[in-house]
Amino acid sequence: MVEDTQLVSDTRERDEISALLASGLETEVFPRADTHEAVQEIVARLRTVDGDLKAKLVIAGFTDHPIEHGGIEQPCETCMYYLVHRKYCELPELACSVEPEWSCRLWRI
Amino acid sequence: MANLLWLQGGACSGNTMSFLNAEEPSACDLVTDFGINVLWHPSLGMELGENLQRMLRGLISGEIPLDIFVFEGSVVNAPNGTGEWNRFAGRPMKDWVRELAAMAGFTVAVGDCATWGGIPATAPNPSESVGLQFLKRGHGGFLGKDYKSKAGLPVINIPGCPAHPDWITQIVVAVATGRGGDLSLDEFGRPKTFFSSFTQTGCTRNMHFAYKVSATEYGQRKGCLFYDLGCRGPMTHSPCNRILWNRQSSKTRAGMPCMGCTEPEFPFYDLAPGTVFKTQTVMGVPKDMPSGVDKTGYVKLTAAAKAASPKWAEEDIFVV
Repeated sequence: MVEDTQLVSDTRERDEISALLASGLETEVFPRADTHEAVQEIVARLRTVDGDLKAKLVIAGFTDHPIEHGGIEQPCETCMYYLVHRKYCELPELACSVEPEWSCRLWRI
Repeated sequence: MANLLWLQGGACSGNTMSFLNAEEPSACDLVTDFGINVLWHPSLGMELGENLQRMLRGLISGEIPLDIFVFEGSVVNAPNGTGEWNRFAGRPMKDWVRELAAMAGFTVAVGDCATWGGIPATAPNPSESVGLQFLKRGHGGFLGKDYKSKAGLPVINIPGCPAHPDWITQIVVAVATGRGGDLSLDEFGRPKTFFSSFTQTGCTRNMHFAYKVSATEYGQRKGCLFYDLGCRGPMTHSPCNRILWNRQSSKTRAGMPCMGCTEPEFPFYDLAPGTVFKTQTVMGVPKDMPSGVDKTGYVKLTAAAKAASPKWAEEDIFVV
């Protein structure tokens, strides 16, 4: 029952994000978080938005397709924060549903 | 009967606390079962003042045999190489150390500060601290790279912050019972029996490491601590998950990242803000790889493992 509720809620959120990205939401895709300091800076900004989904997507630089950077493709599906079966980003400051082929600049492997 | 002397230099007494908590064997077992005569120890020694100085002089003259010399803490050389910041029994500790080490059957450095300088030797190292035979990864330290005790061994390094109690007592028993020659040491003077495997060896999170599922908060029971929380288990040589702490657990089992405290570079990155308990990355790839793994292989392995990860790996399987 709990799992069903979570599934519905995750799907709804994923659809919402998908629609936002498809409608041309401009996000901060670059610069990527290449250094620890850059990661910390972005994460610190994410902590200030308090549940505002659109702001989270913008700051994290979400795209609905993989970004290649430094010779490595950076899709959600290979990211450390990605839960494969739930299709979910577990980074506490993002904590949202995603698709495997999406990407953001906080990607880490 | 083997005479043991334990002295402390630039130390927090953490290794003494650890030693006194040893279980297999215990500190008492050393005396009652293995015939070790603890001549003096900072927390156990009875002699004070003149009596202590007389005993130390007796050891240096050879009047009293010094079978095992254990040193805890860094050798403090400040100010300006004099060692006056760490005086003991009427003179700089470093002067005692040099003369006692020359007479010792075995010299054992316990803890990071005695082995490689540890936290006191972190830049800018105001106390001019060094380890007995290393300064961080540099061979030499206070006694010099050619130093050998009378038994023909270099300083036996038992690193850790602190060293595990049983690593200390087991090595002391080995040398006290005539098995010092059986000890095989690695390039940093660490007994291989303890320091050839990794902290990760025996970690209960190895399944999560294999399937690339990350822990994102301290104390989480699921997930590997290497990917995000700066765990150094895959590249740190220690038996922390083979010889458990308090015979019960380990940091990584309890959900806290390994800080790599048995390696010469500890504390890593000189404790720069943001470097502790956070995996350092370059373009999203860990700066410090598991030992022996290259970046390309790591990226390929991770992508494949992630794709193959089973559902249970993402759930908390350690249910109370």
